[in-house]
Amino acid sequence: MTSVNAAFGEVAAERRIASAPLSHVSIELGHLYMEDFEAGPDRLREQFRRVAPWAAAVRSGWQERVPGGRARVSTCFLVDDYFSRFSTPAELVPMVLEAAAEHDLTIDYLARESACAEWGGVEPARLVEERLVDDPPPDTNGSRPPVKETGWLCNGTRSPHPGAVQAMGRAQRWAPPVQNAKRGHSIFVDVELWDESGGRRTWSCPFLAAVWQLLRLGLLRSEGQVPLPPAPRPAGWPTGWDALPAVVQLRDQAPPFSAYTTLSVLSPRFLPVELAVRTILSQVAVDADVLRQVGTRSEGEGIRLEEELVDRISYVFG
Amino acid sequence: MLVMGEVHTGLLQNSGEISESTCRQVLDLLSGESVRVSRRPIVYAISPDRLTGVDCRLPSASQSRVRGVGTVLSRCAVTGGRIAQGSSYARVERATADRRLPWSHYLARPGIVEVLGKAKTRDLADGFAGDPPSGCLDLGAISGRFLDLVQSSPVLDRRAPFKMPRSRLRWVAESGDPSIRFTLHSDQSRTVHLVHRGEFTPDVVDLCEDLALHDWLLTALLALVERAGIGTTPGPQAAAKLSPAVDHLLHLWMPAAHVDGSMAAYWESLDRRPGFTRQWRSLVDRVRDQLALNTLSLLSMNAEAGRRWQ
Repeated sequence: MTSVNAAFGEVAAERRIASAPLSHVSIELGHLYMEDFEAGPDRLREQFRRVAPWAAAVRSGWQERVPGGRARVSTCFLVDDYFSRFSTPAELVPMVLEAAAEHDLTIDYLARESACAEWGGVEPARLVEERLVDDPPPDTNGSRPPVKETGWLCNGTRSPHPGAVQAMGRAQRWAPPVQNAKRGHSIFVDVELWDESGGRRTWSCPFLAAVWQLLRLGLLRSEGQVPLPPAPRPAGWPTGWDALPAVVQLRDQAPPFSAYTTLSVLSPRFLPVELAVRTILSQVAVDADVLRQVGTRSEGEGIRLEEELVDRISYVFG
Repeated sequence: MLVMGEVHTGLLQNSGEISESTCRQVLDLLSGESVRVSRRPIVYAISPDRLTGVDCRLPSASQSRVRGVGTVLSRCAVTGGRIAQGSSYARVERATADRRLPWSHYLARPGIVEVLGKAKTRDLADGFAGDPPSGCLDLGAISGRFLDLVQSSPVLDRRAPFKMPRSRLRWVAESGDPSIRFTLHSDQSRTVHLVHRGEFTPDVVDLCEDLALHDWLLTALLALVERAGIGTTPGPQAAAKLSPAVDHLLHLWMPAAHVDGSMAAYWESLDRRPGFTRQWRSLVDRVRDQLALNTLSLLSMNAEAGRRWQ
């Protein structure tokens, strides 16, 4: 009798990871807070005026790097509807698009910050929180669970609590906090991820910004699917933010929302926020299969991506 | 260089076996990630992988100070809705820099612990297989915590049908000419030294978890048979003590059911010597013979009683 090779598969036993279409770079043209809105349309025009030359520089940089100059560059704009609700899409969106057009900028995608916390039954912020793997201080051997301050994340060892008493009864003296990967001296960063009041959790601005970066890098999945896929532009702009999809694609021919790399052009006042974002992102474990997927795709295009995801993010502060 | 792992195996803390959907709840360790379930030839559910960061000494037989930094990969599994496992492993590789790098470097290499400075593979393998001193990488504690996570799930009733200690199987894998050595240490501790051809693949982990599962089954059945006191305890009592084995264990023996074909040869060689399946079959026969004997004596007692009534 000849032997037969039998194949048997079980769908529930296999892991399926959807792939996200990817641009080369995702440029964040702006991040609108209530205070900016209240400052009037001039603040927006000023923002776009500052961004335009940088966006052009990045675009031409990628065009040189990609064979045939066919760089896929997508642009996005984030509106804060999480920390404060202001205006309406019907009023705000046309104003933003107009101000951008004055500086020859096209916004491909418009996103709502509250969607980084929760949208359509998916909680991207929770997904990221559960994927945090704490940066271990030296002598962490796994024998005890990681020391955590609920709702906080740091890059080293915190100072001992003042007044903490050691086993022998002597009050512990102050000791400085220490950065784990310090080079010579420490730059210790401790970031508040969220707080709670009345049983309701509020995610911090850096935490949602970290989620936003991961969404733009196409590195998040929920049940194997890409969370918050861009939705087509509605026929008319609604009068309430909740009626607007998480990410709206404004232009039919726009390159994909997610990208191998991201660039954000920000005012220097966001520097501390972005340090916090990098502290968080350095401790997010992205799914190994997703990392491989993105790596294989970029290599197929002859592009070598930075291994560490924090190195795929760049900024212009100006 | 090499891969180190440790698997903890125990009886699920529940009165009966749990259904596939309960398995999914028990193993739901990461939101947005499904529990994978395979139904043939036995229901086997496995949790998503989780990572734990470490920066510590690695065990070394020569007691030299070897520092490792990186992440340990862990997961939990439930087999047949009855046996729970917590399993962790780390691939140990040489670091390119001789100092600790930013954490994002290590997270880009999930499941890898990088060795800073000099270290010999043999020295680390022997150190890990021995009794690692405290302060060294403690995969046992990590696996133990993951098994605790399953056992403390609120959907379990915590009324296990019998008590049976957890077993610990520590394993080391390296590449070379294929071989496997399985060593029984104290009552609950075992070590496996496995040499595989070519690059390490997670199939090795599946094999070690499968070995741990079957070793626990064998140990548990041996213990139940011993507790039954066959030959010294009256037949009906011995039979009653053996019944948990029939209810909960006998149907679970399926060597290499979820192990890649390339690893089957390791199971086959262990089955030739020391012969796990041989021992299991002989124990199962013993349990069944006892129950058959007891049934026969019950039948003859009934027949006797029937005759008296006539």
